[in-house]
Amino acid sequence: MVESTNACGIIAMKIPAFRVALIATASFLPLSLLLLIVFLVLYSWPAIQFNQFDFLWTNDWNLGNLYGNPVSVHGQQIMPGARYGIWFLVVGTIVSSVLAMLIAMPIAIGSAYFLSEGVRKSWAGPLSLFVDLLAAVPSVVYGLWGYALLVPLFGQTIFPFMVKTFSFVPFLNGSAGSGYGLLTAAFVLAVMIIPLISATLREAIQMTEPALKEAGLSLGLNRLEVFWHITLPKLKTVLIGVGILALGRALGETMAVLMVSGNALNYLPNNIYAPISTMAAFIASQLDSALQDPTNMAVEALSEIALVLLLITIVVNITARLMLWMERIR
Amino acid sequence: MLYRLKKEISRSVKGAVMLSALGLAGLYALPASAAPTISLLETGSTLLYPLFNLWVPVYTKMNPGVQITTQGTGSGTGIAEAISGVAQIGASDAYMSDAQVKMHPEILNIPLAISIQMINYNVPGLNNIHLKLSGPVLAGIYSGKITNWDDAAIAKLNPGVKLPNHKIIPIHRTDGSGDTFIFTTYLSDTTPAWSKSVGYSTTVSWPAVPGGIGAMGNPGMVQALKTTPYGVAYIGISWKKPVEEAKLGLAKLENRDGKFLLPTVENAKAAAGEMVSKTPADERISLVYAPGAKSYPIINYEYAIVSKKQAKPEVAAAMKKFLNWAIDSKGGNAPHFITAVNFVPLPESAAALSRKQIAEIQ
Repeated sequence: MVESTNACGIIAMKIPAFRVALIATASFLPLSLLLLIVFLVLYSWPAIQFNQFDFLWTNDWNLGNLYGNPVSVHGQQIMPGARYGIWFLVVGTIVSSVLAMLIAMPIAIGSAYFLSEGVRKSWAGPLSLFVDLLAAVPSVVYGLWGYALLVPLFGQTIFPFMVKTFSFVPFLNGSAGSGYGLLTAAFVLAVMIIPLISATLREAIQMTEPALKEAGLSLGLNRLEVFWHITLPKLKTVLIGVGILALGRALGETMAVLMVSGNALNYLPNNIYAPISTMAAFIASQLDSALQDPTNMAVEALSEIALVLLLITIVVNITARLMLWMERIR
Repeated sequence: MLYRLKKEISRSVKGAVMLSALGLAGLYALPASAAPTISLLETGSTLLYPLFNLWVPVYTKMNPGVQITTQGTGSGTGIAEAISGVAQIGASDAYMSDAQVKMHPEILNIPLAISIQMINYNVPGLNNIHLKLSGPVLAGIYSGKITNWDDAAIAKLNPGVKLPNHKIIPIHRTDGSGDTFIFTTYLSDTTPAWSKSVGYSTTVSWPAVPGGIGAMGNPGMVQALKTTPYGVAYIGISWKKPVEEAKLGLAKLENRDGKFLLPTVENAKAAAGEMVSKTPADERISLVYAPGAKSYPIINYEYAIVSKKQAKPEVAAAMKKFLNWAIDSKGGNAPHFITAVNFVPLPESAAALSRKQIAEIQ
């Protein structure tokens, strides 16, 4: 059967029209990624020239005096006093996404185990459907839920309690803040990516060879130990793959984070409850202000932020591929 | 044979039902298409948004050929979309800068009313009294120099009030905001240090105050202040009712003559009386920090940012009719609209200048 499909494929590729169409369709995705990068670089080129490398590690985002007159600095027209530095955005994006992954991974693995092996087969179907539906909820709905429910709850009850209990731990003590901040944003992100990870893991668990599990059980391990020592190591590649997918979603999440993060400007959080700002949320919230800049430098600086976000996502994906490749050759 | 007959009947019934549904839909759409409706898009200031929402149902009932859509997106968006032509009317609490006017000479800034800005705070126990605040104190709070509620500067303005020893959390707007514009104008006018370092605009580089929060839109400011004890925020007067329902505090602001006043309509009228006579022909002027013992310091013109050149003459005519109705004291500027949002009606001299600008729309 496989040989006949292969033969069909080989014959089909000999037809020029089919071949060209197939190559065009297949190259659509890598080509659009390339074109996206090229577009962002070209559009933000004046900003890249003006900012150079200070862009990445200074903490000073300033659109300048929009009600003044444009001046020329380093050969570029800008508003007086304009400076663009996004270190706080880089930190905010990476820290909130990593924290979200740290919260989400254990819960997702646990829920995947529970849904595949912990419940009766008759219940597994409906419960899994529930989790899959959660994965499809639009992120702005999570943002609204976070804004209306979590922020008051965290700010007035849970955070003060945490500050009291963990007053000796460096990053967890200090001011309990107002509920808008890093931990709230990471929590909302975690709630969004748990269904994603859990659904994929559950299917992968169900597809592992029963022979391995039975071997473990026959050696005297209980079900949990079988899962931890036998099934999970086999799932390493799936875990890395779905983890990267979830991390990508968390890095690019805009609306939900915008509503609960507190939108810090030009400063880093001093503890886990302090406000932060992420790159995607910042671009969304600052676009209409940037449009007020008659020299257009502000919009170009925003597109430079988009370029940095895109590059971070690409680096994360390449790292994941490297890790998968190393797993495979081991 | 009977089966074939039943199939034919059911098919024709389905076809008839579909045709009649389409026909009904067509009939429903017919009256609208008979007289072409002109749709106008208004977007921008969340301070002006409640007033527009009061105007639109009344105006469209009187003028069924016009459909007006309103959006509250922030003054920055209002100006940008009026310039790009996406929106016919951009609402803004801020007038355009000189550089913007030079780049886009066809854009008019037309005042429709005069609005006021409140300074609100959320200090447990003190929300029912009116704390006294001044421009330099607010500049200190928003630049991080004054960190606690019981700071000496605040205590000096409020003798006898027991201020809590707690960090102040300043709340500002993240979007391009006319409220930010008038608030920072007030801070710049009162505090030279603020004017030199931060200045005024619809977006400023807010000094980094640890814990400072950014919110989107006036509704976002109200919500952020509600959930942030010991916070302080600047909110437009049209949102007074939600602020009162949330039991948030309203501050008395120090004006140019050193008096501390509440943002009432009488105090705003006094301020307007001092400043309106200075309004130039293009009506781009700040009404903030007016002289006079009874003048509330933060008032401003609410602008409709419109382009002189409209794509179609019918659209231009519809816009002129609407804007003229809006500034008419028997139309949009009638007391029941204006007092519902706590604004001040446009004074006659300013209305005359506005009418002259409206006449330039083609």
